[in-house]
Amino acid sequence: MARINSQYDQDTLVNPKHNPTVAALLSVIPGLGQMYNKRYVKGAVLFILFAAFVIVMIEFISTGLQGLITLGEVPREDDSRVFLSNGIISLILTVFFLGFYYLNIQDALKDAKRIQLGWKVPNMREGFRNAWDTSFPYLLIAPGLFLLMFVVVFPLLYMIFIAFTNFNLYNAPPREILEWIGFQNFINLFTINEWRNTFVNVLSWTLIWTFVATTLQIALAMFLAVITNDPRLKFKKLIRTVFILPWAVPAFVTIIIFSALFHDTFGAINTQIIIPLFGEGIPWLQNATWTKIALIMIQVWLGFPFIYALFTGVLQGISSDWYEAADIDGASRWQKFRNITFPHLMFATAPLLIMQYSFNFNNFNVIYLFNQGGPAVRGQTAGGSDILISWVFGLTFENQQYNMAAAVSIILGILVATFAFFQFRRSRSFKEEGTF
Amino acid sequence: MLKSKSFLMSLMVVSSIGLVACGGGNNDDVNAPANDSETDNMNNETTTGEGDVPEKPEQLTMWVNDEEAQLDANEALAEKFTEEYGIDVEIIPFSMVDQAEGMSLDGPSGQGADLFFQPHDRMGDIHLQGLAAELELTDDQQERFSHYNEDAVASLSYEEVQYGIPAVMETYALFRNTDLVPEAPETMEELMDIAHDVTDGDTYGFLMNATDLYFTYPFLTPNGGYVFGQDENGVYDPNDIGLNTAEAVEGAKVVQSWFDEDLIPDGIDMDIVKGLFSDGKAGMVVSGAWDIPEFQSALGDNMEISMLPKVDDELLTTFNGTKGWLVNYYTEHQYWATELALFLTNAENSHTYFEMAGELPAHTEVEIEDELMTAFFDQIQSSVPMPNIPETSKVWEPMNDALEFISQGDDPQEVLDEAVEQIKEQISIMN
Repeated sequence: MARINSQYDQDTLVNPKHNPTVAALLSVIPGLGQMYNKRYVKGAVLFILFAAFVIVMIEFISTGLQGLITLGEVPREDDSRVFLSNGIISLILTVFFLGFYYLNIQDALKDAKRIQLGWKVPNMREGFRNAWDTSFPYLLIAPGLFLLMFVVVFPLLYMIFIAFTNFNLYNAPPREILEWIGFQNFINLFTINEWRNTFVNVLSWTLIWTFVATTLQIALAMFLAVITNDPRLKFKKLIRTVFILPWAVPAFVTIIIFSALFHDTFGAINTQIIIPLFGEGIPWLQNATWTKIALIMIQVWLGFPFIYALFTGVLQGISSDWYEAADIDGASRWQKFRNITFPHLMFATAPLLIMQYSFNFNNFNVIYLFNQGGPAVRGQTAGGSDILISWVFGLTFENQQYNMAAAVSIILGILVATFAFFQFRRSRSFKEEGTF
Repeated sequence: MLKSKSFLMSLMVVSSIGLVACGGGNNDDVNAPANDSETDNMNNETTTGEGDVPEKPEQLTMWVNDEEAQLDANEALAEKFTEEYGIDVEIIPFSMVDQAEGMSLDGPSGQGADLFFQPHDRMGDIHLQGLAAELELTDDQQERFSHYNEDAVASLSYEEVQYGIPAVMETYALFRNTDLVPEAPETMEELMDIAHDVTDGDTYGFLMNATDLYFTYPFLTPNGGYVFGQDENGVYDPNDIGLNTAEAVEGAKVVQSWFDEDLIPDGIDMDIVKGLFSDGKAGMVVSGAWDIPEFQSALGDNMEISMLPKVDDELLTTFNGTKGWLVNYYTEHQYWATELALFLTNAENSHTYFEMAGELPAHTEVEIEDELMTAFFDQIQSSVPMPNIPETSKVWEPMNDALEFISQGDDPQEVLDEAVEQIKEQISIMN
């Protein structure tokens, strides 16, 4: 465009009578602008497509959008959830429609400008071929994009909208009509004592859990990977196989077995190890602090093999030239690790490690299967080891507080997204591609 | 919000409801004989008689809990119904736990089944979501409906509106390993004596999931104490919670003493109770009829079942649960769906259902000859329905936590006061 504009000068125009503004204005009715540009077939096709869309969808979309505002009027007849989903579909379709509408006007405008500059309107076959050449990739991804809208965007929007309604057990469709209540749920979450205390407690443990469990598993994996990479070590394959084993057993099974092993009275850890050694068992499942310690240990055991495998792979990729050069310079073992091994490891794996953090932030399995978020803590309604995601699960499926669950989910999503976004941006793998 | 015990509780409730189960059938053996023919006559009357009977639909659909035994039993009964009335019955397997949610989605759009099957403690939700039709029984139907267990009928109503027709009932009782405990204890004192005698090392005399309100309720409330107060019409008052009364605290102290004296180990849960009993390491356990097959395969003839013992000459009062048929609010065939529900649960068919699916009928005129089941039947006579208002869902977790603290030695009065306070707060933020 910029180039065309720069040549925009009455003198150089071949067809000064052809007015782009007219083409754009005519395109308000899709297809007319194209016809003004003498691309009759294209115009006709566009007109028919838009007309068809409008005739078929206008009613659905307008009632859908209206329903999205009212969420239904007659209790028992109108199901707010249906209104909500129809509204969201209408919203998505409207966005699609506006997008194509905009493209249509742009298209007419652009062609008109080119005609002014003496561009010959291609005949039908050429036009078709041009379109095919330029838009083939878009044609291929279009179905996927369309599907994505409904598989990803639709449920997300649904969840987000629910957070702004009063959808809970006492206000459940089909008997009741939902209402928009704005940010009330979020306000409640932070102002009503019951909610706030629980939310703050759960959030702080979630953050500690994410940070400690993930960091420990990375540290352990790095330690073991560096050790087992030492050329003097024998039986490397065997040792590596043993370290990878925890990964091979489904986490689901492991956690349930651990839950039995950690049982205060009957678990093997207390009866076989702790009691013979120290004389008294540890209340793994009844004391929140011990439960948290056990959970972190289990997560480290479950999570390190993956990172270990990752590190082992990267370690073998570090050229021995680096170390030889370091040896010549008289570097110590620690200096070699700090300046060669560690940066290499981090550079290659940082994005995956960050994903480990966000994975643990929402690691429902371990928390729920080990002790269902327990043990009970006096004066608090969430369990001692509940993280946000297991709390949300309880809210939705045990208490039917759909609105609050959605509100917490949004906060949770924002947290994870921000964290991941900044970390990815800051990680060197993205910033300094090709440094090594 | 999730807590181990609440999860167990919900699992318990769900499984007590969802798995093969028990219940109490013939309330009164004396009433039982010669009723099959009567019921049949009535059925014929409705099919031929009265002019206000709506036209027969071609087909009725019902959602049946997706357990094989229950499906088979219902299929057999549905066939019988088709034969008798000429209405096809389509059976769709649908887990009972998911049915309410399914109905809330399918009902309004007209895709819900005419009949669905629910436990009584969902009545509050179902009422609030408006999923079930208020039953409008004709005089003739009313007559047949009067032969069901009163508790069961009441628990399938909500705020004096009858929503369901009860099918089966269940509660828990005392299982005994006759090797360790040959005679059933009559009183709580006897039970405690036996427990002290038998408990030794890893063998226990008396075990139960004592940190779970569902099972602990009878021991917590032997002289009084209740979950929610009720007015004379049986409507629950969620503001009146009787779990920290002097009597309840008294009961809690008894429960605490079991842990203090190491009769019951710390960290008890249902898995442990079941495991130890199956291994022959527990003399007496409290559990429901749903565990009969498991225990029987482990202990064989050494297992007997009796009622819970007496305290001060009064029988302990267990919680009972009822499951029944509900008519879809949005169905066009309310009359015939009700008719089908009544047919499925009448004396004769309840008996068939009991034999095929092993669940104890809620119809009072069924005669059951099964020694193990008799104890459950007796126990049901001495039981109260779990409250079915939605506020009940807020009771389990704080109470189970409180029992957990009590088991760890905290002061019962303090802990129960706290729990009740928490329940009230939870109820207040429900809306």
